[in-house]
Amino acid sequence: MATVTSRVASAARTWRSTYRMADYANLLFLVPATFFFVGWQIYPIIRVFVLSFTDYKYLERNPPNFVGLQNYINALNDPLFHVGLLRAFAFTAAFVPLTILIPLVLAVLIDRVTTPWLSSFYRIVLLIPAVIPGPLVFVLWKWLFDFQIGPVNTILVDWLGIFTRQTAPQWLGGTPLSLPAVIIMEVWWGLGYHTMFFLAGLAAIPKDLSEQARIDGASEWQLFWRVIVPRLLPILSILVVLRFGTAMSVIDEYLIFGGFQRTSPTYTWTVYMYDLAFRIGDWLQGYAAAIGWLGALIMMVFVVGMLYVFRSRD
Amino acid sequence: MAAAIQRRHRRRFPTSLIARHAVINVFLVIIVLPLIWVLLMSVKSLPESYSTNFWPRQFDFSHYGFVLTRIQTLPQNMFNSVFVTLATVAITTFCAILGGYALVHVKLPGRMLLIWLLIASLFFPTRLLSLISIYEIQRQLGLLNTVVGLIFPYVTLNLAVSVLIMRGIFEQLPHELVEASRMDGCGPWRTLFLVLLPLLLNGIVVVAMVNFVGVWGEYLLAITLTNDQATRTLPVVLASAHSGMGQWAYPRIAAVYVIAITPGIIIFALFQRLYFKGLTEGAIKL
Repeated sequence: MATVTSRVASAARTWRSTYRMADYANLLFLVPATFFFVGWQIYPIIRVFVLSFTDYKYLERNPPNFVGLQNYINALNDPLFHVGLLRAFAFTAAFVPLTILIPLVLAVLIDRVTTPWLSSFYRIVLLIPAVIPGPLVFVLWKWLFDFQIGPVNTILVDWLGIFTRQTAPQWLGGTPLSLPAVIIMEVWWGLGYHTMFFLAGLAAIPKDLSEQARIDGASEWQLFWRVIVPRLLPILSILVVLRFGTAMSVIDEYLIFGGFQRTSPTYTWTVYMYDLAFRIGDWLQGYAAAIGWLGALIMMVFVVGMLYVFRSRD
Repeated sequence: MAAAIQRRHRRRFPTSLIARHAVINVFLVIIVLPLIWVLLMSVKSLPESYSTNFWPRQFDFSHYGFVLTRIQTLPQNMFNSVFVTLATVAITTFCAILGGYALVHVKLPGRMLLIWLLIASLFFPTRLLSLISIYEIQRQLGLLNTVVGLIFPYVTLNLAVSVLIMRGIFEQLPHELVEASRMDGCGPWRTLFLVLLPLLLNGIVVVAMVNFVGVWGEYLLAITLTNDQATRTLPVVLASAHSGMGQWAYPRIAAVYVIAITPGIIIFALFQRLYFKGLTEGAIKL
């Protein structure tokens, strides 16, 4: 013990003596990352914030005027923004539980597979969707949900016989089913990735803990709720918050699935913001900026709230 | 007592085992079926592609040759995607290695603040919100509608995650190694490149993979910042090709699709051992 502390102390001493003078030179390591961060992330966000207080229209020649909080007041009274937020919340409320609970169950099942080659085979196959980029997944599923040639309807009509060709569900094109269609696709895409998260968490639970619980007569159900879930809680809660954030700000899949059709359940506040900034009229980027910031702030209220509820209590 | 447990265990064993594997396999089928469908679609003959057959009656492999030679801009689009992806992955990985090293092994003022900033940025819809002004910045820099211009915003897409992953990997490395290298008179730069770099392989694979997947299929920035068919990347081309007619007949789209998703799957297959190792070492702990 003594040798360890003295070694640490001497290490700390040399560290300090060698590098104190060079502390600020060490900032050089952060220069590449900072260049991109500041240039294409921090500066644009600040600029969007400033824009949100102006009536800036991209295609208009006149210089923008400062309008104070007018954009925010307009946004709060804009029925399209309300509907857009509600649609995003509806998607989030359905998507987040599914995309977390299904992988949780799957991970518990795979964790018990004791044959090594089978266990790694399962993991590899499950992770295939995770190495397909999102937009390519969306393009594929848009095709799968196609009314005419899509295999989803083929399975429902020809294989299962639940519907006929005439009554088969219209998944795309802004029908109410567009939302479940996006949810099914997202759960498919995230299945393997989230399962890996939980498998890593499960690997950290000592095996004799569950063995002991079994010997003490615990049922599998009790084991799951009393032993496994409490130990996965940190991973579970961080995933809930992260997925909430991504689900509320989803845009690519809505653009690919639903386009800019205002009645579609995929026309959320994010699509509305994009529509305003790059399509409608003179590109009302000042107003779009206010919509974006307002949506982000509302999201942050929920994120901070959840982080507070999930904070570690030890 | 032990024997009784053994017996109970053995009796319950087969049914639960079979049920477990059955459930897992149902999920595997759900994962794989869409991919097999698109693969089969890419080898169906043109008339058959409008039918709902799952298994093609006859195989027609000509679509791959067709899309690679007869669709005019497609080779250009593929080159754009490859170029942007390689450049972005290289730059981001470089930034992440230096950044992760700085946050762990180098004395740095304000280190905790930086870490918190990085973590906070993961919860904020940065990508969405910055879009409006990225368009303006790119216009002022003359980078609108250029392939090179895409690299700059692309680097930031997964930069925070990448730096945090590398930080996790650096924290696993024994501190004595760094100390020993310093005693031998290596400065922080030489310590990083001569001593630590070979030990970072798992982390580099994960970071490269995360960035590859993020950039190879990026859609929102690409469709906003580029305008011409010649500057488009593969995902944008694919997302707009759904007519089912002419050069974009279904089997041909499917062939482009298979070409688009294959590199990721091959890279993953090659590096999966390192990937899983890196994933458990650094990424999950974030």
